[in-house]
Amino acid sequence: MIMSGPNSSHKPRKKRKVDAYFGPPSGHGTILVDPATKAQKPAFPLVAFLWPAKGTVSQWVILPLILMVAGLFRWTTGFWGYSGFQKPPMHGDLEAQRHWMEISIHLPLSEWYFYDLQYWGLDYPPLTAYHSWLLGKIGSFINPDWFALSSSRGLEDPILKVYMRATAFISEYLVYVPAVIIGLRQFARIQGTTSWEASIALVAFLMQPATILIDHGHFQYNTVMLGFAIASMSSVFAGRYIWSCVFFVASLGFKQMALFYAPAVFAFLAGSCLFPRISISRFLGIAVATVISFALLYVPLLLGALYESYRGIAQQPLPAPPLLVSLPMQFDENAWYYPLVLQTAQSIHRIFPFARGLFEDKVPNVWCAIHTFHKLHQYSSTTVQRAALLATSAAITPPFLILFLKPRKDLLPWGLAATAWGFFLWSYQVHEKNILLPLLPMLMVLAGEGGLLPSTRAWVGFANMLGVWTLFPLLKRDELRVPYAVLSLLWAYLMGLPPTSLSVYQSGLGGGLTAPVKILHLSFYLAMVVWHVFEAFVAPPHGKPDLWVVLNVLIGAAGFGFCYLWCLFRLAEESGLLRKKRTAGNSKEKGRKDQ
Amino acid sequence: MTNTYPTLTQCAVVATALKILLFPAYKSTDFEVHRNWLALTHSLPVKEWYFEKTSEWTLDYPPFFAYFEWILSQAAAFIEPDLLSVKNVNYDSWQTVFFQRSTVVLAETVLIYALHLFVRKSPPDSRRNAQAAALSILLSPGLLIIDHIHFQYNGFLYGVLILSLVLAKGPSPSLLQSGLLFAGLLCLKHIYLYLAPAYFVYLLRVYCLSPRSIFRIQFQNCIKLGLGIGAIAVAAFGPFAFWRQVDQLTARLFPFSRGLTHAYWAPNVWAMYSFSDRVLIYVAPYIGIPVNKDAVQSLTRGLVGDTQFAVLPDVTPRMTFILTLAFQTLCLVKLWVKPTWDIFIGTVSLCGYASFLFGWHVHEKAILLVIIPFSLLALKDRRYLGAFRPLAVSGHVSLFPLLFTASEWPVKVVYTIFWLILFLFAFDRLAPPSRQPRVFLLDRFSVLYIAVAIPLIAYCSLVHQSIFGEKYEFLPLMFTSSYSALGVVGSWLGFMVVYFTS
Repeated sequence: MIMSGPNSSHKPRKKRKVDAYFGPPSGHGTILVDPATKAQKPAFPLVAFLWPAKGTVSQWVILPLILMVAGLFRWTTGFWGYSGFQKPPMHGDLEAQRHWMEISIHLPLSEWYFYDLQYWGLDYPPLTAYHSWLLGKIGSFINPDWFALSSSRGLEDPILKVYMRATAFISEYLVYVPAVIIGLRQFARIQGTTSWEASIALVAFLMQPATILIDHGHFQYNTVMLGFAIASMSSVFAGRYIWSCVFFVASLGFKQMALFYAPAVFAFLAGSCLFPRISISRFLGIAVATVISFALLYVPLLLGALYESYRGIAQQPLPAPPLLVSLPMQFDENAWYYPLVLQTAQSIHRIFPFARGLFEDKVPNVWCAIHTFHKLHQYSSTTVQRAALLATSAAITPPFLILFLKPRKDLLPWGLAATAWGFFLWSYQVHEKNILLPLLPMLMVLAGEGGLLPSTRAWVGFANMLGVWTLFPLLKRDELRVPYAVLSLLWAYLMGLPPTSLSVYQSGLGGGLTAPVKILHLSFYLAMVVWHVFEAFVAPPHGKPDLWVVLNVLIGAAGFGFCYLWCLFRLAEESGLLRKKRTAGNSKEKGRKDQ
Repeated sequence: MTNTYPTLTQCAVVATALKILLFPAYKSTDFEVHRNWLALTHSLPVKEWYFEKTSEWTLDYPPFFAYFEWILSQAAAFIEPDLLSVKNVNYDSWQTVFFQRSTVVLAETVLIYALHLFVRKSPPDSRRNAQAAALSILLSPGLLIIDHIHFQYNGFLYGVLILSLVLAKGPSPSLLQSGLLFAGLLCLKHIYLYLAPAYFVYLLRVYCLSPRSIFRIQFQNCIKLGLGIGAIAVAAFGPFAFWRQVDQLTARLFPFSRGLTHAYWAPNVWAMYSFSDRVLIYVAPYIGIPVNKDAVQSLTRGLVGDTQFAVLPDVTPRMTFILTLAFQTLCLVKLWVKPTWDIFIGTVSLCGYASFLFGWHVHEKAILLVIIPFSLLALKDRRYLGAFRPLAVSGHVSLFPLLFTASEWPVKVVYTIFWLILFLFAFDRLAPPSRQPRVFLLDRFSVLYIAVAIPLIAYCSLVHQSIFGEKYEFLPLMFTSSYSALGVVGSWLGFMVVYFTS
C-alpha cells in the first residue's frame, strides 16, 4: 500500500507498534473465537467499544475517554427531575441536602444536630455535615441567597439546581471514580486479568444505572460513601490494612448505610490478624487506626461544641436526647465535658432512628413482602426489632464465618455482597436506595477471574437490572421515567442482557449457565417487562391502588433472595468449601501469596 | 470479511441514548421556528405557506422541507394537536419537546444509512479507515450541538448529502441517482447551493460527457438527468409558480437585507477583516489613517444589518460573491481535468470552504458544510489529516457560543474534547503516510494551534466573567471567532496545497 520509491527522500513518520497484540483467547469472557476461521469477535457490545483499545493503546488515552463518556451520561441525567421538585412543604432529598448546607454554614457547630429537627434535621454522620459545610461555603460565594438562613427553604432556582448537580458530580469524581479505577485495577491484579479487561469492567461499573439515577437523578451523595467503601476494599487488595480501616470509617462517617458492609469488613480484618498465623502488630495497627479515625471524625464537632460552650455561644439550653436520658448514669450539665457527651449522644440518636418503623414506604425486602400478606403492625416494635436482629444475624453469619476463617482478599467482594444482601433483605429500617450497597461488590467481581463469562455476567447483570427495576416507583415520583428507561436499557445493551439480547443465555464457549438458572432469570425478566406494560397501561383495581408497587416489591424481594443465595454459594465455592465445577485458575494460590 | 468494531449501529445506539437524555436541554428559537412550520404546514392551505406571518419565524426553507414538516405534522396530530396551531406562539409543552426532539433523532437514520453505504462501498483495504471516518461524522459534536441541543435537522440533511456523495462513486445509474438526490437536497435547504458548482462540473464531465473524450456527448444521460432534475424542480416549485408566488418565495429564501457578518462572527475571512479593523481603530491615529467615527459606534454593537468598517474599506455583497466564485472556479478547473471521486469530494469541500470563508452573512453553523465532506477524505493520507486537524478543532470550538447556558456548558466542552481526543488519536494511528513530502510548517502550526484552544476556552467561559463580569461581553466572542477563523483559514490553505499538488 505504501510505496516508497527511490525518489521520495522523506521518511514516513515513525510507525508505532500496530495492534499486533492478540492475547490468548481470553478465559475471562470478553472474546469469542470462531472455531472454524479463528476469527475473533467481541462477546457483547461493551467489548466492541473497547475493541480498538485492545493491545497497545495507552491507558492514558482510554481512561479519560471512559471518564468523559460516563460523565456525560451522569450530567445529562441531571437535566431531568429530582426528588421533591415543586412538592411543598417538605420537598425532597435535594432540599434536605441544600438545607444542611444552609444550617451548617449559619449555625454554631453545637446546634447542627439540634436545629429544627422537624424540617430535615441533620440525621447523617459528621462527615456529611462537614461536606455540606464546605459546599455551602463555596455555594454562598457564588450566590448567598441559595443558602440564606430560613429564607432559602424550598428554593428552586434553576442555577441552584445546576450547582447542586455539580456538587454531586464533583464529589463523585473526587471520591468514587478514583476509588473504582484503583479498586478494579487492584482486584484485576490479584486475579490475573488484563488491564484491558479491567477497563471493560470499569465501564460496566460506571455505567450501572441505579447509582447514576439515584445520585444524579433523584439526588443524593451516595457515591461518596460508596467510594470510601471501595477505597477500603481496594486498600485490602493492595495489602494496606490500616488504610482500609481509615477509609471504612470515612465511609461510615459519611453515611451510616455503610454499616451493611461492617460485619464483612470486621470479619475479614479480624480474621486476617488470626489466620494463617496470629499477627499482633497487624491487630494493633488496625485497632489504633480505627480508633484514631473515629476520633478524627468527631474532633471538629466536639472541639467546636466545646469552644462554643466556653464562649457561651449556644444560648438556649439544648434538650438532652432520649439516648442520653436512658443511660443509667447522670451527667452534670455544667461539667466541662457535658457538651461532648451531649453532642455524641445527639448525633448517634439522630443517625440511628430506632423510633422509626421497620421499613420505609415499599422496600423489596423480606419484611415488606411478609407485611403484604400478614400485617406486622400487630406486633410491638420491640418484637419486630428483635426478630429483625435475629434474622439479619442468621443471614450474615455464613459469610461472616467464611471471611473470618478464610480471610483471603479475593473472597472479600463476595463476602461483602452476601453480607449486604443479608442486611438488605432482613434488617431494620431499610430504604429502597440501599440496594446500591449489595450491587457494588457484585460489580467489582466483573474485573475478576472469569468475571465477564456468561455465568457471572448473567448474575451480576440480573441483580443490577432487578435492582434498578425495583427503584422504578421511586424514580417515577421524581419524573425520571425516561432516564430510567434510557440508562437501564443502555446498560442491558452494553452487557448483552435481556431485554435487549439473549446472548448471555445461549450456550457459547464455556462458562455457561445451567438450565434451571436460565429459566429462573428469564422468568424474572419476563415478569419485569410484563409488569412495566401493566403499570403503564392498566389501572390498578379499586381498593388496591398500590397493587403494582406491591407486586414490584414481591418480585424484587424474591429475586434478591436468589441473589443472596448465589453470592453465598459463590463465596463458599471460591473459598474451597464446595468443590468447584469449573477448572478455574490459580486464584487460590495467588490469594494466599498476597497475604 | 472481518468486521471492525465498534460498528456504526453500536455507536448509534449509545449516541441515541445520550441524545434522548438531552431532550430537556436548552433549545434555541429554532425550536419555535420548526414548531411554527409544523403548525403552518398542517393548518394552512399550501397557497398560504409562504405568506403566513403570525410568528416572526416565517417559512424560509424551500418547499421540500415544508413538505417534510407537513409529513411530520401528520404524526404530531396524534401526539400533541395543540402544537399545530399557528397562534400558539412559543408553545413548548413536554409532549411538544418530546415529539420534535424525537423527529430529529429519527430523521438522523438517513445519516446512519448513508454512512453505512459509504463504508460498504469503500475498497476492502481502506474499509477500516472508512469506518473511522464514518464514526467521526456520526458522533460529530457539531451535529450534537446544533441538532440535539440548539435544534435543527442537519443530521437528516447531511445524511442526504453523504448519500448523494457516496452514490457519485458510480457506476452510471448511481451517478444519476446522486444528481437527482442532490437536486432534491437543494429543494430541502438551499444552503447546499454553495456546493452545486462541484456537482455541476462533476456530473457534466463524467455523466453527460464521455469519460474518454469531452467532445463526445452522452445524449441519453443528458436527457435522463435533465428530465429528472426538471421533474424535481416542478414537484418543489411547480405549485408556487402556478400560483405566481415565485417572487414571494425568492424574497423569503434569499433575504439579502442582512449584514456582512452575523451578530456573532462566523470564523471566516470577514471575521479576521473585522478584527483587523477593530485593532486599526486604536492604531490608525498614530499612523495617520482617518477613522470613521459612526462606524466605531456600530461596530462595537455588532448589529445585524449594518456592518460598517471604521478604517478598512467597506465590503459589498458583489465582492463577496466574486471572491467566492473565483476560489471555487480555481478548484473546479482541477476537477474538470481529473474527475475522480476523491477529487470530487475535495472540490465539494473546497466549495464549502470558499463559500464559508468569503460568503455574505455566513452562519457559524455552516462550518459543517466543510467539515463533513472533508471528513470523508481526512484519512486519505497524512497530508490530508494535517490539514484536517486545525479544522476539526476550530470548526467545533467556533460552535461553542451557540450554547451559553450553565448546564449545557459541560456537555458541549466535554463532548467536543472527547471527540477531538478520540478521533485525532485514532486518525493519527490510521492515516497512511503520504507519497509526497508533507509541509513541515503546517504540522507544527497545527500542534501549536490545538494547544492554544485550551486556555482560550478557559478564558472565554470562566476567566473573562470573573474578571470583567458582564462588561465587554463581545470580547470572548471576538477571541473565539478570530481564533477559529485562523484555524479555518489555515486548514483551507493547507488543504489547497494538498489538493493542487496531489
